[in-house]
Amino acid sequence: MVKRDVKTSISEGEGDVQVINENGKRSAEDENKDGPKRVRTKSLYRQPTVNELNRLQETENLFNSNLFRLQVDEIIEEVKVKEKTEKRFLQFFTELKTHLLSIPEDDTEYDLSEQTLFKKLKVKLPLSGKLSKTKCMFKFHKFSNVEIVGSYALGCAINSKLRVDLQISVPGETYTKNDSINYRYHKKRAAYLAYIAAHLSKLENIEELQYSYINGTETKPVLDFKPTGKLGNQLSVRINLLCDSDAYKLHRFSPERNNLREAWLFNENSESNTEVGPPTPCYNNSVLADLTATVNQVFLNEILQKSENLKQAVTLLKIWLRQRNLKVSGHVVALLVAYFVQTKRVNNIMSSYQIVRNIWIALKTSDLDTKGISLCKATDTSPSLEDFHKHFPVVFIDRTGFYNICGQMCKGTYLALKRECVLAVDMLDNGKINSFLPLFMVPVKPLMQFDHILRFKNLKQLKESVLAKTPREAQVNHGIEQLPLVTDVVHSLLAKGLGNRVDLIQQLVDNDFSWPVKKSLDKVRSGYEEKLSFGFVLNPENSINVVEKGPPANLPEAEEFRAFWGDKSELRRFQDGSITETCVWEGESMTERRTVTKQIVDYLMKLKFDINPSDLFHISDQLDSVLARKQWASERVLYVDDSSLTALQAFDALRRDLRQLVQLPLDISAVYGVSPIFSYSAPAPALPRATPHNPWQRASTCLVKDMQRDGLASLPEYTPVCKAILELGHSGKWPGDIHAFRCLKAAFHLQIAERLTAQYSLPTQAYATHIDVLKNGLVFRLEIAHAKEITLLKREMQHGVVKYRESEESVRLQCDTVLMPRLRGALHGLHQKHPSFGPTACLFKRWLSAHLLSPPHFPETVAELMTAAVYMHAAPTQPPASPTVGLVRVLKLLAEFDWQRDMIVLDFNEDMSHEEITELEQKFAASPESAPAVRIVTAYDGPMPSVWSRAGPSANVLARARRLAASALKYLDDALMVGHKDNILGMFVPSYAGYNVLIHLHSALVPHSSERVDQPPKLQPLPEKLTEEIIPVVEFHPVTKYLGELRSAYGDFALFFHDLYGGEVIAVLWKPDIKDDREFQLTNANALKPYSAKGETKYKVNIEALIEDFRILGDGLVKHITVN
Amino acid sequence: MKAAKRTQDVKALELQLTEDSVAPHTVYFKEHIVREHTKDKPQGRTLLVVNVPPYADEKGLINAFREAGSVQSVQLCLKPSTADVKHIMRFIPEEKITTFRAAYIVFKKVAELDKALKLTELQPLNSNAHQMQVGIKKWINEYNSSIILPKTLKENVETFMKQFDENAQKADKKEKELEQEDDEGWVTVTKRGKVQSFARSEKVENKIMQKEEKNKKRKELKNFYTFQIRESKMKHIVSLRQKFEEDKKKIAQIKQSRRFKPF
Repeated sequence: MVKRDVKTSISEGEGDVQVINENGKRSAEDENKDGPKRVRTKSLYRQPTVNELNRLQETENLFNSNLFRLQVDEIIEEVKVKEKTEKRFLQFFTELKTHLLSIPEDDTEYDLSEQTLFKKLKVKLPLSGKLSKTKCMFKFHKFSNVEIVGSYALGCAINSKLRVDLQISVPGETYTKNDSINYRYHKKRAAYLAYIAAHLSKLENIEELQYSYINGTETKPVLDFKPTGKLGNQLSVRINLLCDSDAYKLHRFSPERNNLREAWLFNENSESNTEVGPPTPCYNNSVLADLTATVNQVFLNEILQKSENLKQAVTLLKIWLRQRNLKVSGHVVALLVAYFVQTKRVNNIMSSYQIVRNIWIALKTSDLDTKGISLCKATDTSPSLEDFHKHFPVVFIDRTGFYNICGQMCKGTYLALKRECVLAVDMLDNGKINSFLPLFMVPVKPLMQFDHILRFKNLKQLKESVLAKTPREAQVNHGIEQLPLVTDVVHSLLAKGLGNRVDLIQQLVDNDFSWPVKKSLDKVRSGYEEKLSFGFVLNPENSINVVEKGPPANLPEAEEFRAFWGDKSELRRFQDGSITETCVWEGESMTERRTVTKQIVDYLMKLKFDINPSDLFHISDQLDSVLARKQWASERVLYVDDSSLTALQAFDALRRDLRQLVQLPLDISAVYGVSPIFSYSAPAPALPRATPHNPWQRASTCLVKDMQRDGLASLPEYTPVCKAILELGHSGKWPGDIHAFRCLKAAFHLQIAERLTAQYSLPTQAYATHIDVLKNGLVFRLEIAHAKEITLLKREMQHGVVKYRESEESVRLQCDTVLMPRLRGALHGLHQKHPSFGPTACLFKRWLSAHLLSPPHFPETVAELMTAAVYMHAAPTQPPASPTVGLVRVLKLLAEFDWQRDMIVLDFNEDMSHEEITELEQKFAASPESAPAVRIVTAYDGPMPSVWSRAGPSANVLARARRLAASALKYLDDALMVGHKDNILGMFVPSYAGYNVLIHLHSALVPHSSERVDQPPKLQPLPEKLTEEIIPVVEFHPVTKYLGELRSAYGDFALFFHDLYGGEVIAVLWKPDIKDDREFQLTNANALKPYSAKGETKYKVNIEALIEDFRILGDGLVKHITVN
Repeated sequence: MKAAKRTQDVKALELQLTEDSVAPHTVYFKEHIVREHTKDKPQGRTLLVVNVPPYADEKGLINAFREAGSVQSVQLCLKPSTADVKHIMRFIPEEKITTFRAAYIVFKKVAELDKALKLTELQPLNSNAHQMQVGIKKWINEYNSSIILPKTLKENVETFMKQFDENAQKADKKEKELEQEDDEGWVTVTKRGKVQSFARSEKVENKIMQKEEKNKKRKELKNFYTFQIRESKMKHIVSLRQKFEEDKKKIAQIKQSRRFKPF
């Protein structure tokens, strides 16, 4: 047994006695002398009690961890229905019950095809027009009891959106023997419900009396209402009707029986009414649900009523399911738990954690779609499981052996459930995260969870065309409930068409519908639309295959393949000699290949159901256009990952060259790339350049020509370099003085440059700090790194003792030359594993920059690490497979992560132990002031945890970024999930409101100005002949230079914001104290001007002069300045 | 004394970039007086100017004060400081920072400083002969001058190394001299001397301390006496308790941020 009230046993001990026992020297007299010390002793060194030992032991054995257990306790406490509410409800229920039972008997018979009943009741029947052709007579028989059932009765209810289920059993004599067919049962049931509704509408202490269809079950409405007053805020009440089990023999509704005549459904001659048609298991199941409810409820009560731990487990599972937005009702969950109790997989002695875990494991390995389970022992009378499998996608048979509890569950839901179980167990087993939070606390929204979402703009058209192409038997089976049928058909088509490209296809149906009892259904419904969409979780490897290989041409399966794919299928011969039927989709670039899923869906919907691609809405590649270069293009549009790949290939060749250099005093032992381009995360990567026209040249590098055209300087195209780090072989001869060391480094640079030119005739330019080398039209910047340089920077003397202390410079050098190469390598690896990582990082950087938070406000590396966090800590979902979804996830992380309290650990190679992580956590918690605003620790940081975010973002920038992210997410949700907007580039347009000064720049001088999202694409062709002899002007970025000067000169007075990717405006925000009076000091007189007030001379910041300075420093670049 | 007559108040005047500048900065200046004057800032002739705008250069300041007389030298630095600037031999020169600076203007004659202190108006920084370099022009120049011929770089390296070697030799020699007994018979112990010593660095010190600690521990007996066993058991429980307490704290924290509301 798990003891609940252990808190008391821990915090209150038998302190005084123990103190003496444990430390004999201390006597009771001095206990008041050293009070505080005693308290500590009391709490930690007191003799353990039996209770406490038990609890500690229990936690070790029965729960994942202490923390997990405490969290479970908390959440259970949180969702529990408050006692006060329970009391109030009980009172309300007694009143309600008395009122309901006072319903008068009525001997009149009503013809339900006429309006007589409505006239009597003044309440509409909850029936759709489709049932009007069913004729029957109805007579009200009084029911005997009203019961509370479901989760509230069992005590595993969740107090948010709490709904108390009441059930009323309709007396068996209401229905005649023949009522079971052609919806007569349902019609009478609806009439009965209307009768109750009419009676209830006279009751005063209820409001919002409504009929509802749950899960689109049009034939079986329920009655919803709320108690008035405070109780109404806490809960609502639902009345469900069921049928006395003696009304019908259950075998009439076996899955193989027909109860809905084909002729009725298709309005054919009614003479053929007697003819028995194909089996209607779905229709049967809907009646069976009412007939068997009592039996199952009794069974559930028997198992769960007295078992606290089982109930807790059910509650936990319900929370988990609700967070995952899975349409599995609490009833099904409770029955599943009951099933596993019955099969002895779980029992009440287990802790709730163990039960939940066992159920996840059991569900993970279950196959309800092929090997159904049953709560009933097989007898001769009940139908076999095979019969059920023939008609239902998921089979879980109830206590009676006739009713399929999962009859309404779509296969997609079941597969999603199974998959979530797998993920849940994985999360539990991952000791490094606090798995509780992602499991129970984080809601999973479709936009987060799926890589690709397919929505239908015109569901009615889809319904019609699907129904037109489905066989009659299926239609008869589903009767007037068409949506489940359509869903099933489309789901299986997509599943077949996409095959192993997707890990999961889940339908997202939104068809719960409620309306007031006094209004007629058809009228209310005209304004309402059901929504159907499908979410895909893509398989990152398979989903980008361009070729769909079918069976070899000579096999019979080939015929089927051809039939399925239509014209798209063609015979192809492959390199291995096989000739097969094949479909080939378009996809030359990586970005195009990501759209293969879309192509397939579009093609299949057109082929099978004649639905135009324009009627489909895909949420998948909306933001790909941001990843395409606008200024340059090769034969086709150039995407960032293509350019990065080109650079990587050139770099690999250069690396080989470097390794083979001879006649160097020290060999080059390693070459590492450090620029973002090497992990595919540069939004505007370097492109190969053509030979400059008429260059001014010094050594092998171009100079910037100081020329003017139309009064503007004409500058060369901005060319970024790709930076790399060289490591040399070991030598003990490096000098022990930092300046001499650097001099020697320069000598090495010179020599390497010389050798590169001599051996491979590559143009090179050596500098004291680096070497520029041209390879394949790209410029690489190499720098020698050596650990000794860092040590020398750290070194300082104190009292004659040499000590090593981190200095700003040493940290920077360590980041650049030691940490960055490793991190870049790890990120490159991450991109190889998840090919959408790079593009996602690009999108995120673009987004940040578009909102003027470009580095140094929000450093690039921090942006990359945040993106990496989305891929490495994807729980509760899986890593995204498309950049658009990736961006959504990063924004979500940014907006919702608790940056103040938590940190993110990026452990690329599983190097960090649990203890190390805990230690870091404590370290940050101990000094919250000195910790950076964003705490992302990588395994490489070593003694400098979260080194990358030390410089930024600051708390203010983080707060702004979070607000922007939250509104961007809302914008995306509105545009994609509610509307059908394909153009969502609006999220990349900044607002300049709120800034004090705007500095407008000449757009011709701003690098990347044509890459901005609001610019039309230029698509200049890339040069065919690349520059081979001369290094172009590189890294000459006038705006960055200007910003650098502004920030270093006026950083004390203002903040400067700019979009790195082509922003033509620099936004300036004064520091809040800019207008305050300052004290004049000789050492601190910057930008002050004197003014006299009340005869005194005071000083304040000379704002006008500062603005004038902005113009002076940006001479030739600044167009004009506006002051707000 | 002449200097005594001079006022110690700081004077403030506006400093324009060109004649038509509308909103100029105000510079503040006074005579540079400290207890010990250095050679480059001689007493009586040096003017200290603060709040010099970021774009001003030496020649510009000479332009500004040209009415006072001829200037011998101008030194720009980040903050006014009395300390003598130490010249460390650097291979890579320090980066120039664009910001407000202080300037020491040394006039050729004492009288010129007096005149400067009485100025009522400064001339603009720019003159026909010399203009401040700002904006695009400056960046282009910076870029172009950063590109140097390999030959020049090689020469730089060689001269620097030569200089460095010379200095190193001098330092060596000095150390050797220290080794000699001084008048009172003291000998300074150095790294290269005959007397063996260990390097005085933090690392070495830590190592020695660790060794000591280890030796101490080795002498102790563990789990030998009953009380020790009892204590170690207690320790285990204490660590469990500690963990429990920590977790409870964490929960309290999470609770505080109301994160247990799942919906």
